[in-house]
Amino acid sequence: MSSGILLAIPAYNEEANIADLVARVRRELPGFELLVVDDGSADRTRAILDELGVRTARHLCNLGYGRAIQTALKYADRHGYDSLVTLDADGQHPPEQLRSMLEAFGRSGFDLLIGSRYVAARHYAGAPLGRRQGMRTFSVLLSLLTGQRVYDTTSGLRAMRRSVFGPLVRGQFLDFHAEALVYLMRLGYRVGEFPVVMSERRHGQSMYGLLSALEYPLKTLLMLVLGLAQAALARRDAGT
Amino acid sequence: MTLAGTLVLDLLALGFLLWVLNLVRIGRLYVGYGVILVLLIGASAGVVSVAPLRSSMDAALARLFGAGGPLVLALCFLVLLVAYVLTQVTLLANRLATLVQELAIRNADEAVRKPSSRPTG
Repeated sequence: MSSGILLAIPAYNEEANIADLVARVRRELPGFELLVVDDGSADRTRAILDELGVRTARHLCNLGYGRAIQTALKYADRHGYDSLVTLDADGQHPPEQLRSMLEAFGRSGFDLLIGSRYVAARHYAGAPLGRRQGMRTFSVLLSLLTGQRVYDTTSGLRAMRRSVFGPLVRGQFLDFHAEALVYLMRLGYRVGEFPVVMSERRHGQSMYGLLSALEYPLKTLLMLVLGLAQAALARRDAGT
Repeated sequence: MTLAGTLVLDLLALGFLLWVLNLVRIGRLYVGYGVILVLLIGASAGVVSVAPLRSSMDAALARLFGAGGPLVLALCFLVLLVAYVLTQVTLLANRLATLVQELAIRNADEAVRKPSSRPTG
């Protein structure tokens, strides 16, 4: 391991974006190790990754975003990486901003640093109405439950230290969003935000459709409540 | 229905709710199924506890099926059965996911060990 940091990209049907993203990551962070978790893509994503010679953990069928992140966490944990950085395959997270984020992560004492679209402005202007309300709701809930405001709970751009690999692999989470943050913060891990500018998806479709807009808040809310219970039990078992 | 009957049904609903939540917490029930069951239990408890809603439900059941009591019992049994089946589906799905993840990690490792056949990133 050259850097002790693993960059992981969960990808599902990203034939239009993945080649450009890998090229930009390699250009911006040449010394870093890269793992793409191909979540059972049915398009040419797999062939493109082979052509590019990218290390790929390939799911035989589509397991979903959360499971893809979990695979990356398991991989990083077993291979002894010090840190894991995840970024989305749709090109929303410009690799050009990663170096500064990683420098900040290295200097900080955070166990998990979120690349945040909203922390600089501290509001959600520009986001669609539904997403804006959802983001605000979960951000406020998180603040009430943990005493710390996190503005971007759904960002897929995250840098994590080894200390959180175990709790995240063992716990029950959906997409490692608000429910995972509550769990970690209640266990005493430090979570921070780093301001980044994200671009819109260039090609293809988002994994969140109309049905998700109804399902996601309910599922996350339930997992949030259970995350609290889970953290309380974990603290009790640890005797703290 | 008597007040004692309402309390018994509400307690049963609470017990069922806690059971479902615990299943989701320990990963034995997928959270999507959990949400549906929680909403179902909540709605049922609401109907049982609020007198006007309960009367409407009684009347509707009596009109449709003739007798409400046995049908409610049958429905409770059916929901329990559904919850059990869903836990088994979740168990299988979790095992499948673990298997797929292990294979993916193993394949990525093999690609690292054999750079000539499959170059690495």
